[in-house]
Amino acid sequence: MTLRHEMTGGRDDRPGPGQGPPGVDLNRAWLGVAAEVWRRRPGPAERLAGRALRSPGLARALVATPSLLLGWVIASAVVLAAGMLATLGTGTPFVALSAPGVAAAGIAYAYGPGIDPAWELSQSMAVGDRMVLLVRVLVVFALNAALGLAASAASGTAAAVTFGWLIPMTAVSALALAAAAVTRSASTGAATGLAAWAITVLSARSASGQVSTAVASSVLVLPYLAVAAGCGAIAWFATRIPKGTS
Amino acid sequence: MNVEISNVTRRFGRTEAVAGVRLETGPGVFGLLGPNGAGKTTLLRMLATVIPPSTGQVRLLGRDPGSYGPRREIRRRLGYLPQNLGYYRGFTVADFVEYFALLKEMPPGRVPQAVAAAIERVDLGGRARAKLRTLSGGMLRRAGIAQAIVNEPELLLLDEPTAGLDPEQRVAFRALLRDLGERATVIVSTHLVEDVGTACSEVALMDAGKIVFQGTPAELTARGEGTGAAGDAPLERGYSAVLAAARSGKAAA
Repeated sequence: MTLRHEMTGGRDDRPGPGQGPPGVDLNRAWLGVAAEVWRRRPGPAERLAGRALRSPGLARALVATPSLLLGWVIASAVVLAAGMLATLGTGTPFVALSAPGVAAAGIAYAYGPGIDPAWELSQSMAVGDRMVLLVRVLVVFALNAALGLAASAASGTAAAVTFGWLIPMTAVSALALAAAAVTRSASTGAATGLAAWAITVLSARSASGQVSTAVASSVLVLPYLAVAAGCGAIAWFATRIPKGTS
Repeated sequence: MNVEISNVTRRFGRTEAVAGVRLETGPGVFGLLGPNGAGKTTLLRMLATVIPPSTGQVRLLGRDPGSYGPRREIRRRLGYLPQNLGYYRGFTVADFVEYFALLKEMPPGRVPQAVAAAIERVDLGGRARAKLRTLSGGMLRRAGIAQAIVNEPELLLLDEPTAGLDPEQRVAFRALLRDLGERATVIVSTHLVEDVGTACSEVALMDAGKIVFQGTPAELTARGEGTGAAGDAPLERGYSAVLAAARSGKAAA
Protein backbone atom coordinates (compact mmCIF):
# COMPACT_ATOMS: atom_id res chain seq x y z
CA MET A 1 0.00 0.00 0.00
CA THR A 2 1.41 3.38 -0.92
CA LEU A 3 1.61 6.33 1.41
CA ARG A 4 -0.95 7.90 -0.86
CA HIS A 5 -3.20 4.91 -0.29
CA GLU A 6 -2.66 5.16 3.45
CA MET A 7 -3.65 8.79 3.50
CA THR A 8 -6.62 8.44 1.20
CA GLY A 9 -8.09 5.34 2.75
CA GLY A 10 -7.13 3.04 -0.10
CA ARG A 11 -8.01 5.30 -3.01
CA ASP A 12 -5.11 6.27 -5.23
CA ASP A 13 -6.06 9.88 -5.70
CA ARG A 14 -2.89 10.89 -7.47
CA PRO A 15 -3.91 13.86 -9.56
CA GLY A 16 -3.12 13.86 -13.23
CA PRO A 17 -1.87 16.89 -15.06
CA GLY A 18 -4.40 19.64 -14.85
CA GLN A 19 -6.35 18.03 -12.02
CA GLY A 20 -6.96 19.76 -8.73
CA PRO A 21 -7.92 23.33 -7.94
CA PRO A 22 -6.64 25.91 -10.41
CA GLY A 23 -3.15 27.11 -9.58
CA VAL A 24 -2.43 24.21 -7.24
CA ASP A 25 0.09 21.58 -8.30
CA LEU A 26 -1.18 18.57 -6.38
CA ASN A 27 1.67 16.33 -7.49
CA ARG A 28 4.14 18.78 -6.05
CA ALA A 29 2.10 19.06 -2.87
CA TRP A 30 1.99 15.29 -2.67
CA LEU A 31 5.77 15.01 -2.96
CA GLY A 32 6.10 17.60 -0.21
CA VAL A 33 4.00 15.43 2.10
CA ALA A 34 5.92 12.28 1.15
CA ALA A 35 9.24 14.07 1.67
CA GLU A 36 8.25 15.04 5.20
CA VAL A 37 6.98 11.60 6.10
CA TRP A 38 9.90 9.65 4.60
CA ARG A 39 12.81 11.88 5.57
CA ARG A 40 15.17 10.64 8.23
CA ARG A 41 15.59 12.92 11.23
CA PRO A 42 19.31 13.14 12.14
CA GLY A 43 20.09 12.33 15.77
CA PRO A 44 22.19 14.59 18.01
CA ALA A 45 25.44 12.80 17.08
CA GLU A 46 24.80 13.25 13.37
CA ARG A 47 23.84 16.90 13.79
CA LEU A 48 27.00 17.52 15.81
CA ALA A 49 29.14 15.69 13.25
CA GLY A 50 27.48 17.60 10.42
CA ARG A 51 28.38 20.92 12.04
CA ALA A 52 31.93 19.82 12.90
CA LEU A 53 32.66 18.30 9.49
CA ARG A 54 30.63 20.84 7.51
CA SER A 55 29.31 18.00 5.39
CA PRO A 56 25.94 16.32 5.96
CA GLY A 57 27.07 13.46 3.70
CA LEU A 58 30.20 12.80 5.70
CA ALA A 59 28.19 13.02 8.93
CA ARG A 60 25.69 10.46 7.64
CA ALA A 61 28.55 8.20 6.54
CA LEU A 62 30.09 8.55 9.98
CA VAL A 63 26.98 7.54 11.93
CA ALA A 64 26.59 4.53 9.62
CA THR A 65 30.01 3.17 10.65
CA PRO A 66 29.54 -0.49 11.69
CA SER A 67 32.00 -0.20 14.57
CA LEU A 68 30.28 2.93 15.88
CA LEU A 69 26.86 1.35 16.10
CA LEU A 70 25.52 1.12 19.64
CA GLY A 71 25.87 -2.66 19.87
CA TRP A 72 29.53 -2.54 18.89
CA VAL A 73 30.32 0.30 21.30
CA ILE A 74 28.59 -1.55 24.14
CA ALA A 75 30.52 -4.74 23.32
CA SER A 76 33.81 -2.80 23.36
CA ALA A 77 32.89 -1.19 26.69
CA VAL A 78 31.98 -4.58 28.15
CA VAL A 79 35.35 -6.08 27.13
CA LEU A 80 37.22 -3.16 28.65
CA ALA A 81 35.09 -3.23 31.81
CA ALA A 82 35.83 -6.93 32.18
CA GLY A 83 39.52 -6.09 31.74
CA MET A 84 39.21 -3.44 34.42
CA LEU A 85 37.66 -5.91 36.88
CA ALA A 86 40.31 -8.50 36.05
CA THR A 87 43.03 -5.89 36.57
CA LEU A 88 41.60 -4.93 39.95
CA GLY A 89 41.36 -8.59 40.93
CA THR A 90 44.74 -9.85 39.72
CA GLY A 91 47.00 -6.82 39.33
CA THR A 92 47.75 -7.84 35.72
CA PRO A 93 47.05 -4.87 33.36
CA PHE A 94 44.36 -6.56 31.30
CA VAL A 95 42.86 -3.25 30.15
CA ALA A 96 46.18 -2.15 28.70
CA LEU A 97 46.59 -5.51 27.01
CA SER A 98 43.06 -5.70 25.61
CA ALA A 99 42.54 -2.07 24.50
CA PRO A 100 44.81 -2.24 21.40
CA GLY A 101 43.04 -5.40 20.22
CA VAL A 102 39.58 -3.90 20.74
CA ALA A 103 40.60 -0.76 18.83
CA ALA A 104 42.16 -2.78 16.00
CA ALA A 105 38.93 -4.71 15.47
CA GLY A 106 36.93 -1.47 15.47
CA ILE A 107 39.26 0.16 12.95
CA ALA A 108 39.20 -2.86 10.62
CA TYR A 109 35.40 -2.75 10.62
CA ALA A 110 35.20 1.02 10.11
CA TYR A 111 35.09 1.13 6.32
CA GLY A 112 36.15 -0.65 3.17
CA PRO A 113 35.09 -3.02 0.43
CA GLY A 114 34.87 -5.90 2.87
CA ILE A 115 32.10 -4.34 4.93
CA ASP A 116 30.41 -1.86 2.60
CA PRO A 117 28.00 -3.76 0.36
CA ALA A 118 27.64 -0.73 -1.91
CA TRP A 119 31.41 -0.10 -2.14
CA GLU A 120 31.46 0.21 -5.93
CA LEU A 121 28.78 2.88 -5.78
CA SER A 122 30.45 4.63 -2.84
CA GLN A 123 33.55 5.06 -4.98
CA SER A 124 31.63 7.22 -7.45
CA MET A 125 30.38 9.68 -4.84
CA ALA A 126 31.38 13.33 -4.45
CA VAL A 127 32.19 12.68 -0.79
CA GLY A 128 35.37 10.72 -1.39
CA ASP A 129 35.79 7.25 0.08
CA ARG A 130 39.19 8.17 1.48
CA MET A 131 37.67 11.07 3.39
CA VAL A 132 34.99 8.77 4.76
CA LEU A 133 37.68 6.28 5.75
CA LEU A 134 39.79 8.95 7.45
CA VAL A 135 36.92 10.41 9.45
CA ARG A 136 35.60 7.01 10.50
CA VAL A 137 39.05 5.75 11.54
CA LEU A 138 39.79 8.88 13.58
CA VAL A 139 36.47 8.75 15.40
CA VAL A 140 36.67 5.00 16.08
CA PHE A 141 40.21 5.44 17.38
CA ALA A 142 39.25 8.39 19.58
CA LEU A 143 36.25 6.58 21.02
CA ASN A 144 38.27 3.46 21.79
CA ALA A 145 41.05 5.54 23.31
CA ALA A 146 38.53 7.32 25.54
CA LEU A 147 36.91 4.04 26.64
CA GLY A 148 40.32 2.46 27.23
CA LEU A 149 41.63 5.42 29.20
CA ALA A 150 38.53 5.45 31.40
CA ALA A 151 38.80 1.72 32.08
CA SER A 152 42.54 1.91 32.58
CA ALA A 153 42.31 4.82 35.00
CA ALA A 154 39.55 3.08 36.94
CA SER A 155 41.65 -0.07 37.23
CA GLY A 156 44.28 1.83 39.20
CA THR A 157 47.36 0.77 37.23
CA ALA A 158 50.60 2.77 37.16
CA ALA A 159 50.69 5.81 34.89
CA ALA A 160 53.21 4.18 32.52
CA VAL A 161 50.75 1.36 31.94
CA THR A 162 47.67 3.61 31.93
CA PHE A 163 48.99 5.63 28.99
CA GLY A 164 51.57 3.17 27.66
CA TRP A 165 49.11 1.25 25.53
CA LEU A 166 48.13 4.27 23.43
CA ILE A 167 51.18 3.98 21.18
CA PRO A 168 50.90 0.19 20.71
CA MET A 169 47.20 0.76 20.04
CA THR A 170 48.12 3.18 17.25
CA ALA A 171 50.47 0.62 15.70
CA VAL A 172 48.06 -2.30 15.98
CA SER A 173 45.15 -0.22 14.66
CA ALA A 174 47.23 0.93 11.69
CA LEU A 175 48.26 -2.66 11.00
CA ALA A 176 44.62 -3.81 11.09
CA LEU A 177 43.61 -0.96 8.78
CA ALA A 178 46.40 -1.73 6.30
CA ALA A 179 45.59 -5.45 6.28
CA ALA A 180 41.87 -4.74 5.81
CA ALA A 181 42.58 -2.30 2.96
CA VAL A 182 45.05 -4.55 1.15
CA THR A 183 43.06 -7.78 1.47
CA ARG A 184 39.70 -5.98 1.10
CA SER A 185 38.46 -7.96 4.10
CA ALA A 186 37.57 -6.45 7.46
CA SER A 187 37.79 -9.84 9.17
CA THR A 188 41.31 -10.40 7.84
CA GLY A 189 42.27 -6.93 9.05
CA ALA A 190 40.90 -7.55 12.53
CA ALA A 191 42.49 -11.01 12.72
CA THR A 192 45.86 -9.62 11.59
CA GLY A 193 45.77 -6.87 14.19
CA LEU A 194 44.73 -9.19 17.00
CA ALA A 195 47.27 -11.87 16.06
CA ALA A 196 50.10 -9.36 15.78
CA TRP A 197 49.22 -7.88 19.16
CA ALA A 198 49.01 -11.30 20.82
CA ILE A 199 52.41 -12.27 19.39
CA THR A 200 53.90 -8.96 20.57
CA VAL A 201 52.57 -9.39 24.12
CA LEU A 202 53.71 -13.01 24.37
CA SER A 203 57.14 -12.26 22.88
CA ALA A 204 57.71 -9.36 25.25
CA ARG A 205 56.61 -11.49 28.16
CA SER A 206 58.94 -14.36 27.27
CA ALA A 207 61.84 -11.92 26.83
CA SER A 208 61.36 -9.98 30.05
CA GLY A 209 59.19 -12.22 32.19
CA GLN A 210 56.64 -9.44 32.63
CA VAL A 211 53.33 -9.36 30.79
CA SER A 212 53.18 -5.55 30.87
CA THR A 213 56.46 -5.10 28.93
CA ALA A 214 54.63 -4.75 25.58
CA VAL A 215 52.85 -1.63 26.84
CA ALA A 216 55.29 -0.23 29.40
CA SER A 217 58.69 -0.54 27.72
CA SER A 218 60.06 2.71 26.30
CA VAL A 219 62.36 0.71 23.98
CA LEU A 220 59.34 -0.33 21.94
CA VAL A 221 57.98 3.16 21.34
CA LEU A 222 59.99 3.84 18.18
CA PRO A 223 59.26 0.46 16.58
CA TYR A 224 55.56 0.98 17.33
CA LEU A 225 55.62 4.43 15.73
CA ALA A 226 57.50 3.08 12.72
CA VAL A 227 54.93 0.32 12.27
CA ALA A 228 52.08 2.83 12.61
CA ALA A 229 53.60 5.16 10.00
CA GLY A 230 54.41 2.34 7.60
CA CYS A 231 50.98 0.76 7.89
CA GLY A 232 49.29 4.14 7.53
CA ALA A 233 51.17 4.67 4.28
CA ILE A 234 50.18 1.21 3.05
CA ALA A 235 46.52 1.87 3.86
CA TRP A 236 46.70 5.21 2.04
CA PHE A 237 48.27 3.55 -1.00
CA ALA A 238 45.79 0.66 -0.99
CA THR A 239 42.78 3.01 -0.98
CA ARG A 240 43.93 5.16 -3.90
CA ILE A 241 41.98 5.11 -7.14
CA PRO A 242 43.58 2.10 -8.86
CA LYS A 243 45.70 3.14 -11.79
CA GLY A 244 45.54 1.29 -15.06
CA THR A 245 48.35 -1.18 -15.56
CA SER A 246 50.31 -0.83 -18.77
CA MET B 1 29.27 16.78 -25.58
CA ASN B 2 28.77 15.32 -22.13
CA VAL B 3 31.00 12.33 -22.80
CA GLU B 4 34.19 12.57 -24.85
CA ILE B 5 36.62 9.69 -24.73
CA SER B 6 39.40 9.00 -27.18
CA ASN B 7 41.73 6.02 -27.58
CA VAL B 8 40.83 4.77 -24.13
CA THR B 9 42.26 1.47 -22.99
CA ARG B 10 41.98 -0.28 -19.67
CA ARG B 11 44.10 -3.24 -18.72
CA PHE B 12 43.87 -5.57 -15.75
CA GLY B 13 47.23 -7.28 -15.67
CA ARG B 14 47.60 -8.86 -19.11
CA THR B 15 43.93 -8.61 -19.96
CA GLU B 16 42.88 -5.65 -22.06
CA ALA B 17 39.23 -5.13 -21.08
CA VAL B 18 38.81 -1.96 -23.12
CA ALA B 19 41.00 -1.57 -26.20
CA GLY B 20 41.18 1.84 -27.84
CA VAL B 21 37.61 3.08 -27.55
CA ARG B 22 36.53 6.43 -28.93
CA LEU B 23 33.10 7.76 -28.06
CA GLU B 24 31.34 11.11 -28.04
CA THR B 25 27.79 11.62 -26.97
CA GLY B 26 25.47 14.37 -25.80
CA PRO B 27 21.98 14.31 -24.28
CA GLY B 28 19.85 11.31 -25.17
CA VAL B 29 19.71 7.62 -24.36
CA PHE B 30 22.76 5.75 -25.55
CA GLY B 31 22.70 1.97 -25.52
CA LEU B 32 25.85 -0.04 -24.97
CA LEU B 33 25.33 -3.54 -26.26
CA GLY B 34 27.61 -6.53 -26.31
CA PRO B 35 28.13 -10.08 -25.13
CA ASN B 36 29.40 -10.91 -21.65
CA GLY B 37 33.03 -9.89 -21.25
CA ALA B 38 32.88 -7.35 -24.09
CA GLY B 39 34.14 -4.55 -21.85
CA LYS B 40 30.85 -2.70 -21.26
CA THR B 41 31.07 -2.71 -17.48
CA THR B 42 34.72 -1.63 -17.48
CA LEU B 43 33.89 1.24 -19.83
CA LEU B 44 31.00 2.27 -17.61
CA ARG B 45 33.19 2.10 -14.49
CA MET B 46 35.66 4.46 -16.15
CA LEU B 47 32.82 6.84 -17.04
CA ALA B 48 31.63 6.63 -13.43
CA THR B 49 35.15 7.73 -12.32
CA VAL B 50 35.53 4.53 -10.29
CA ILE B 51 38.62 3.50 -12.26
CA PRO B 52 40.84 5.60 -14.54
CA PRO B 53 41.86 4.50 -18.02
CA SER B 54 45.25 2.89 -18.56
CA THR B 55 45.77 5.15 -21.57
CA GLY B 56 43.70 7.67 -23.48
CA GLN B 57 41.68 10.74 -22.61
CA VAL B 58 38.34 11.00 -20.86
CA ARG B 59 36.30 14.18 -20.50
CA LEU B 60 32.96 14.09 -18.74
CA LEU B 61 30.57 17.02 -18.61
CA GLY B 62 33.39 19.14 -20.02
CA ARG B 63 35.77 18.25 -17.17
CA ASP B 64 38.82 16.07 -16.68
CA PRO B 65 38.03 13.35 -14.10
CA GLY B 66 41.75 12.80 -13.51
CA SER B 67 41.95 15.83 -11.22
CA TYR B 68 40.37 15.93 -7.77
CA GLY B 69 38.30 19.11 -8.09
CA PRO B 70 36.75 18.40 -11.49
CA ARG B 71 36.19 14.77 -10.53
CA ARG B 72 34.23 15.85 -7.45
CA GLU B 73 32.17 18.22 -9.59
CA ILE B 74 31.47 15.44 -12.11
CA ARG B 75 30.40 13.13 -9.30
CA ARG B 76 27.90 15.68 -8.01
CA ARG B 77 26.23 15.60 -11.43
CA LEU B 78 26.54 11.87 -12.00
CA GLY B 79 24.11 9.02 -11.48
CA TYR B 80 25.49 5.50 -11.47
CA LEU B 81 23.86 2.12 -11.12
CA PRO B 82 26.55 -0.59 -10.92
CA GLN B 83 25.86 -4.09 -12.14
CA ASN B 84 26.24 -5.47 -8.63
CA LEU B 85 24.97 -2.65 -6.50
CA GLY B 86 24.98 -4.07 -2.99
CA TYR B 87 22.47 -2.90 -0.40
CA TYR B 88 22.56 -1.93 3.25
CA ARG B 89 20.06 -4.44 4.51
CA GLY B 90 19.04 -2.40 7.55
CA PHE B 91 18.29 0.75 5.55
CA THR B 92 14.81 1.59 4.34
CA VAL B 93 14.37 2.53 0.68
CA ALA B 94 14.13 6.20 1.67
CA ASP B 95 17.23 5.94 3.92
CA PHE B 96 19.17 4.34 1.08
CA VAL B 97 18.26 6.96 -1.51
CA GLU B 98 18.81 9.79 0.99
CA TYR B 99 22.21 8.43 2.00
CA PHE B 100 23.50 8.60 -1.55
CA ALA B 101 21.84 11.97 -2.16
CA LEU B 102 23.91 13.33 0.73
CA LEU B 103 27.08 11.61 -0.50
CA LYS B 104 26.48 13.31 -3.86
CA GLU B 105 26.59 16.58 -1.91
CA MET B 106 23.10 17.70 -2.83
CA PRO B 107 22.04 20.77 -0.87
CA PRO B 108 20.52 19.27 2.33
CA GLY B 109 17.37 21.37 2.02
CA ARG B 110 16.59 19.85 -1.37
CA VAL B 111 17.25 16.26 -0.36
CA PRO B 112 13.88 15.16 1.16
CA GLN B 113 11.87 16.41 -1.84
CA ALA B 114 14.36 14.89 -4.30
CA VAL B 115 14.28 11.55 -2.47
CA ALA B 116 10.49 11.47 -2.56
CA ALA B 117 10.44 12.36 -6.25
CA ALA B 118 13.02 9.68 -7.14
CA ILE B 119 11.17 6.99 -5.17
CA GLU B 120 7.87 7.91 -6.80
CA ARG B 121 9.46 7.87 -10.25
CA VAL B 122 10.48 4.26 -9.85
CA ASP B 123 7.07 3.44 -8.37
CA LEU B 124 8.38 2.42 -4.97
CA GLY B 125 6.26 4.89 -3.01
CA GLY B 126 4.41 2.05 -1.35
CA ARG B 127 7.64 0.58 0.01
CA ALA B 128 9.55 3.77 0.84
CA ARG B 129 9.68 2.89 4.51
CA ALA B 130 10.32 -0.82 4.00
CA LYS B 131 13.71 -2.27 4.92
CA LEU B 132 15.77 -3.22 1.89
CA ARG B 133 16.13 -6.77 3.19
CA THR B 134 12.37 -7.26 2.76
CA LEU B 135 12.28 -6.29 -0.93
CA SER B 136 12.29 -8.49 -4.01
CA GLY B 137 15.14 -8.39 -6.53
CA GLY B 138 13.18 -6.18 -8.91
CA MET B 139 12.29 -3.73 -6.15
CA LEU B 140 15.92 -3.57 -5.04
CA ARG B 141 16.91 -2.78 -8.61
CA ARG B 142 14.36 0.04 -8.65
CA ALA B 143 15.74 1.36 -5.36
CA GLY B 144 19.13 1.35 -7.07
CA ILE B 145 17.72 3.31 -9.99
CA ALA B 146 16.13 5.78 -7.55
CA GLN B 147 19.49 6.55 -5.94
CA ALA B 148 21.01 7.00 -9.41
CA ILE B 149 18.44 9.60 -10.48
CA VAL B 150 17.92 11.37 -7.15
CA ASN B 151 20.26 14.25 -8.06
CA GLU B 152 18.71 14.77 -11.52
CA PRO B 153 22.06 13.76 -13.05
CA GLU B 154 23.42 15.26 -16.23
CA LEU B 155 25.19 11.99 -16.88
CA LEU B 156 23.40 8.79 -15.93
CA LEU B 157 25.19 5.45 -16.22
CA LEU B 158 23.13 2.30 -15.84
CA ASP B 159 24.70 -1.14 -15.93
CA GLU B 160 22.13 -3.83 -16.70
CA PRO B 161 19.32 -1.74 -15.19
CA THR B 162 16.50 -4.05 -16.25
CA ALA B 163 17.98 -7.19 -14.67
CA GLY B 164 15.35 -8.58 -12.32
CA LEU B 165 12.52 -6.33 -13.54
CA ASP B 166 9.31 -7.94 -14.71
CA PRO B 167 7.95 -7.09 -18.21
CA GLU B 168 5.57 -4.43 -16.91
CA GLN B 169 8.34 -2.75 -14.94
CA ARG B 170 10.63 -2.91 -17.96
CA VAL B 171 8.10 -1.04 -20.09
CA ALA B 172 7.72 1.61 -17.39
CA PHE B 173 11.48 1.83 -17.01
CA ARG B 174 12.03 2.38 -20.73
CA ALA B 175 9.54 5.27 -20.60
CA LEU B 176 11.49 6.68 -17.64
CA LEU B 177 14.71 6.36 -19.64
CA ARG B 178 13.27 8.27 -22.58
CA ASP B 179 12.08 10.99 -20.20
CA LEU B 180 15.50 11.25 -18.51
CA GLY B 181 17.25 11.28 -21.89
CA GLU B 182 15.53 14.50 -22.89
CA ARG B 183 17.77 16.47 -20.51
CA ALA B 184 20.67 14.18 -19.64
CA THR B 185 23.09 11.81 -21.28
CA VAL B 186 21.92 8.35 -20.32
CA ILE B 187 24.24 5.44 -21.08
CA VAL B 188 22.65 2.05 -20.62
CA SER B 189 24.79 -1.05 -20.71
CA THR B 190 22.80 -4.16 -21.47
CA HIS B 191 22.88 -7.43 -23.33
CA LEU B 192 19.12 -7.23 -23.94
CA VAL B 193 18.61 -5.79 -27.41
CA GLU B 194 14.91 -5.08 -26.82
CA ASP B 195 15.87 -2.50 -24.17
CA VAL B 196 17.94 -0.70 -26.75
CA GLY B 197 15.40 -0.89 -29.56
CA THR B 198 12.65 0.81 -27.62
CA ALA B 199 14.50 3.30 -25.45
CA CYS B 200 17.74 4.35 -27.15
CA SER B 201 18.33 6.97 -29.79
CA GLU B 202 21.86 5.72 -30.41
CA VAL B 203 23.62 2.45 -29.82
CA ALA B 204 27.17 1.10 -29.74
CA LEU B 205 28.05 -2.56 -29.89
CA MET B 206 31.16 -3.71 -28.08
CA ASP B 207 33.11 -6.89 -28.57
CA ALA B 208 36.49 -7.84 -27.14
CA GLY B 209 37.00 -4.38 -25.70
CA LYS B 210 36.31 -2.52 -28.95
CA ILE B 211 33.32 -0.67 -30.34
CA VAL B 212 32.48 -2.58 -33.49
CA PHE B 213 29.34 -0.63 -34.39
CA GLN B 214 27.91 2.77 -33.56
CA GLY B 215 24.69 4.17 -34.98
CA THR B 216 20.95 4.22 -34.49
CA PRO B 217 18.93 1.12 -33.62
CA ALA B 218 17.47 1.31 -37.14
CA GLU B 219 20.95 1.21 -38.64
CA LEU B 220 21.83 -1.78 -36.48
CA THR B 221 18.65 -3.51 -37.62
CA ALA B 222 19.57 -2.81 -41.23
CA ARG B 223 22.88 -4.60 -40.78
CA GLY B 224 21.02 -7.85 -40.20
CA GLU B 225 18.74 -7.69 -43.23
CA GLY B 226 19.36 -10.45 -45.72
CA THR B 227 22.30 -11.87 -43.85
CA GLY B 228 20.57 -14.90 -42.37
CA ALA B 229 22.04 -13.97 -38.98
CA ALA B 230 20.59 -15.66 -35.91
CA GLY B 231 17.92 -13.88 -33.88
CA ASP B 232 14.18 -13.74 -33.21
CA ALA B 233 13.79 -10.01 -33.81
CA PRO B 234 15.23 -7.72 -36.54
CA LEU B 235 17.45 -5.90 -34.02
CA GLU B 236 18.81 -9.20 -32.71
CA ARG B 237 19.69 -10.23 -36.25
CA GLY B 238 21.51 -6.95 -36.75
CA TYR B 239 23.36 -7.53 -33.47
CA SER B 240 24.36 -11.04 -34.51
CA ALA B 241 25.41 -9.93 -38.01
CA VAL B 242 27.65 -7.14 -36.71
CA LEU B 243 29.24 -9.42 -34.13
CA ALA B 244 29.82 -12.17 -36.70
CA ALA B 245 31.36 -9.68 -39.14
CA ALA B 246 33.62 -8.24 -36.44
CA ARG B 247 34.80 -11.68 -35.37
CA SER B 248 35.34 -13.00 -38.89
CA GLY B 249 37.30 -9.87 -39.75
CA LYS B 250 39.46 -10.45 -36.70
CA ALA B 251 39.94 -14.09 -37.64
CA ALA B 252 40.88 -13.12 -41.20
CA ALA B 253 43.35 -10.58 -39.89
